[in-house]
Amino acid sequence: MNFEQFQNRSRLYVIGALEPDELEEFEMARKEFGTKGEDFINECYTLHEAFALSLRPAKSSAALKERLMSMVKERKRETT
Amino acid sequence: MNLDFEPDARQPPHPFGGHPAHHALRFALGIESYGGLNGRSRLIASKNEIMRVRKALDECAPKRLECFDTFHSSMTQKPQTDIYLDTEAALDPTALPVPTLKPGDPSDVELMAGLQAEDPEALSQLYDRYNGILKALILRVIHNEAEAEDLLQEVFLEIWSQAKNFSSKKGKPLGWMVTLARRRAIDGLRKKKAYVRAEERLQAESEQQPGAWGVHNVTEAAIHSGDARFLMGRVLNSLPEAQRATVELAFFYGMSQREIAANTNTPLGTVKTRLELGLKKIYDALKELKDEF
Repeated sequence: MNFEQFQNRSRLYVIGALEPDELEEFEMARKEFGTKGEDFINECYTLHEAFALSLRPAKSSAALKERLMSMVKERKRETT
Repeated sequence: MNLDFEPDARQPPHPFGGHPAHHALRFALGIESYGGLNGRSRLIASKNEIMRVRKALDECAPKRLECFDTFHSSMTQKPQTDIYLDTEAALDPTALPVPTLKPGDPSDVELMAGLQAEDPEALSQLYDRYNGILKALILRVIHNEAEAEDLLQEVFLEIWSQAKNFSSKKGKPLGWMVTLARRRAIDGLRKKKAYVRAEERLQAESEQQPGAWGVHNVTEAAIHSGDARFLMGRVLNSLPEAQRATVELAFFYGMSQREIAANTNTPLGTVKTRLELGLKKIYDALKELKDEF
């Protein structure tokens, strides 16, 4: 696999769209390309942001944040 | 099913292209977010067009008819004449939780550092900044308000408990949070065995010429310029429909290439090519966007 093919596969990898046989091949290439390959994979995760940002924000209920913060504070109390 | 509509001289062109009736249909099917009906144009569809959309829905996704009708009744200003969709009022940006950064506000990375130090206030600020985006993503996958709220709560709890695993060297906080949210949402979807509904939407999508994939939000960088999101909008909407639909199925429904091929009755090789090309175009555009800032 050359680096261009690796790049194509990386973009599929980050959205979980590689088939099992491709995944195996990809993991081997990933080892081969080392840091350069890892850096590229990390860059590909920006795709996730792009998809999320393509959607208009949705409103959440006010109660949700209250519930969340109270759970977090409770967890913090338990661990300290 | 053919759902081509004649262009309507009464309305200005939609900024993302496509006929308003297609946008309304996509919204009803859950393919398009509310934002797809862009507030920059007034959307007008005739009674006849709306009847055709209803008929199409009745055939391919009857459960979504109610959603479509509810949407229309909320948007209709002249019910006795034509269906008239004025999204400018409905999409008033001040009424929506679009995140904004004020001078002096902590950056996302600083808030992540706060989380790593177990500061609940950091989580509170991250929540205020991004709950709308993450909920939109979850809703896009799961299509159920109550379940989306439950999942959103789980996601923020995971953000709190897993913050120590975040490294800014590996990417931006939003990307990390979106990854967590997407995984949760797709897991939720699978648990519900909701592929049937996804197939319904897919069927509807493949049998019509859908409208645009709206881009209506801002990244931390894009907060500084409205141009950034327009660029992303152009890129996403410039993808050929087949590529965009394939990418959507992979990203939002977590379908594998084989699943997409089976569900769209498309050769696996074609699916692979569409995915690779679509993702490459989006990725290249993101790079271009990044370089601009």
